[in-house]
Amino acid sequence: MPFAALVAYLPMILVAATAVAVMLGIAWRREHTVTVAASVLGLVLALIAQAFAWRVIPVQTPLLSFDGLAVLAGLLILASTLVCAILSHAYLESFHGAREEFYVLLLCAAAGGLVLAASRHLASLFVGLELLSMPLYGMLAYAFHEQRSLEAGIKYLVLSAAASAFLLFGMALLYAQTGELRIGLLMAGLNDGLGLWGLAGIGLLLVGLGFKLSVVPFHLWTPDVYEGGPGPATTFLATASKVAVFALLLRLMLSAPVVQGDWLRSVLTGLALASMLVGNLLALTQSNLKRILGYSSIAHFGYLLIALVVADGLAAETTGVYLITYVLSTLAAFGVVILVSSTTGGEDVAALHYYRGLFWRRPFLTAVLTVAMLSLAGIPATVGFIGKFYLIALGVEAQRWWLVGGIILGSAIGLYYYLRVTITLFLVEPGMRRRDASDDWGVRAGGVVVLAVAVLVILLGLYPSPMIELARVLGGIAIR
Amino acid sequence: MELAFYLSGLVAVLATLGVISNHNPVHGVLYLVVSLLAVAMVFFALGAPFAGALEIIVYAGAIMVLFVFVVMMLNLGQAAVAQERIWLQPATWLGPSLLATVLLVTLIGTLWRGDAGMLVQGDVLSAKQVGMILFGPWLLVVELGALLLLAALVTASHVGRQRLQAPGSETDKEAP
Repeated sequence: MPFAALVAYLPMILVAATAVAVMLGIAWRREHTVTVAASVLGLVLALIAQAFAWRVIPVQTPLLSFDGLAVLAGLLILASTLVCAILSHAYLESFHGAREEFYVLLLCAAAGGLVLAASRHLASLFVGLELLSMPLYGMLAYAFHEQRSLEAGIKYLVLSAAASAFLLFGMALLYAQTGELRIGLLMAGLNDGLGLWGLAGIGLLLVGLGFKLSVVPFHLWTPDVYEGGPGPATTFLATASKVAVFALLLRLMLSAPVVQGDWLRSVLTGLALASMLVGNLLALTQSNLKRILGYSSIAHFGYLLIALVVADGLAAETTGVYLITYVLSTLAAFGVVILVSSTTGGEDVAALHYYRGLFWRRPFLTAVLTVAMLSLAGIPATVGFIGKFYLIALGVEAQRWWLVGGIILGSAIGLYYYLRVTITLFLVEPGMRRRDASDDWGVRAGGVVVLAVAVLVILLGLYPSPMIELARVLGGIAIR
Repeated sequence: MELAFYLSGLVAVLATLGVISNHNPVHGVLYLVVSLLAVAMVFFALGAPFAGALEIIVYAGAIMVLFVFVVMMLNLGQAAVAQERIWLQPATWLGPSLLATVLLVTLIGTLWRGDAGMLVQGDVLSAKQVGMILFGPWLLVVELGALLLLAALVTASHVGRQRLQAPGSETDKEAP
């Protein structure tokens, strides 16, 4: 193997090796803190290795293509996995039962995400996607003695398997049409004419990936799974998993100028508009923070689909910026939910009335959640605003007025429920049932990470050029 | 050979319909075995004898082992024998055996006409070639498959645990 390829593979190797090492460690002795430390060490090393991989790109191997997009998605996946691992420590401390397996699953899923974001071959695409989803079944059903967690795991298992079947059938049809499994050549093969099988194949592929992204007609699982799954698992599902799938979808779209026919743009436009409106409208009536975040993620990926509709030079950069903003805001919001839930061993504390008057007891934690909500709503001076700005600029430049209108309408609706959550935090009502983070949350690792993410949300909102520069350098994609 | 391909494909589809339309899971498994054998036959017809053999060994074989395990775990007695007799109506075994007969005739017909390497089109892929690709440029997929199995195993072993007994929690009361 050439040296450059080895360097590019190194993050994956490190993550997988950490997973195996953690598993062996568990077999020897169960130590929660040591397990977390080993996982975090492995992830940090992988992040450093990813920075080195940046120096050697682009590297092409038969199955994977390490280009800017893959490295950027890899950085985001590794960073959100790292945050998830640290937050899991706080969350699982009060968990009755085996805690350590969670980290094995988390690391396996992260490796799958890295592969998926870099795949240029349908085989690695499928294996990567399965490796990303399979541990998630276990993570979502991790607190299986809670009925809701088990329900979330089973629901995700059944629906995800169905989506995988759609995906596989689509791949088979595309192979029947072109006789090619390498994505670049496959898309080039469709150049001569899509044909009936090619059309059906692309459609089925979209259904499969749309399910993983929970774009609107395929979103029905999202709120239940988000609500039921343990906090860290949901966080991973909302950040790393979606980043990986979206990076792959962008690679498919950018490497396929042919498929950019009008019909596909119309379909994507329809999906985007439906996701923006349905996601935001359904979130209005929710009284559970995790469900609200679930619907909000549907709406956010509706916004992000604009990048796929336009799919020109600026689209990759926009995607990079928007994914960074989305991941940061979502991590901060879920981080607070996890910290507040971590004091009880039972079901997650996500109903809004638990958060009433949180400000008067935990002012800093409330500030974090407020910042996250404002950022998700896209208020200026937070990082969410920069992302929205980029998307609207992209839409206006490409003259996609319907989509721009959709973003504006969606954001206006979204403002209502984001602010409703924020206001709840400051209300005082004596005699309410209260839940709280533990007293020393701020000095624990999880609290420090959540605070750091919130500070980053503000900092990058005020001074976004490092983030934009990163997205510009890394947003590129090596076609074929 | 085209006939063999299409015939096996038809058998596979019919048998799979039998799997999902059956009320009794054990009867469904009978159809499933036939379906897997038919898919293996399709692989043979397409010139992938290695994949076909794996299909029979892994899928049909594993299913058969599960089948045997189920029978072993049941406490068999007089009632079970009577139950078996009721189950073994012609309607139960006629469908699967009919489909299996079609498969057998197809196989014999293919062998009768000579060379088993005859294909719909393309070349025969030997086990050696498959191995060369799988452990050469595709090694990554093998390793990822191993990781996938590890994750599945950890998930199964975690979720399959006994109900937890935490002091002071409500699970105490529910524990058997």
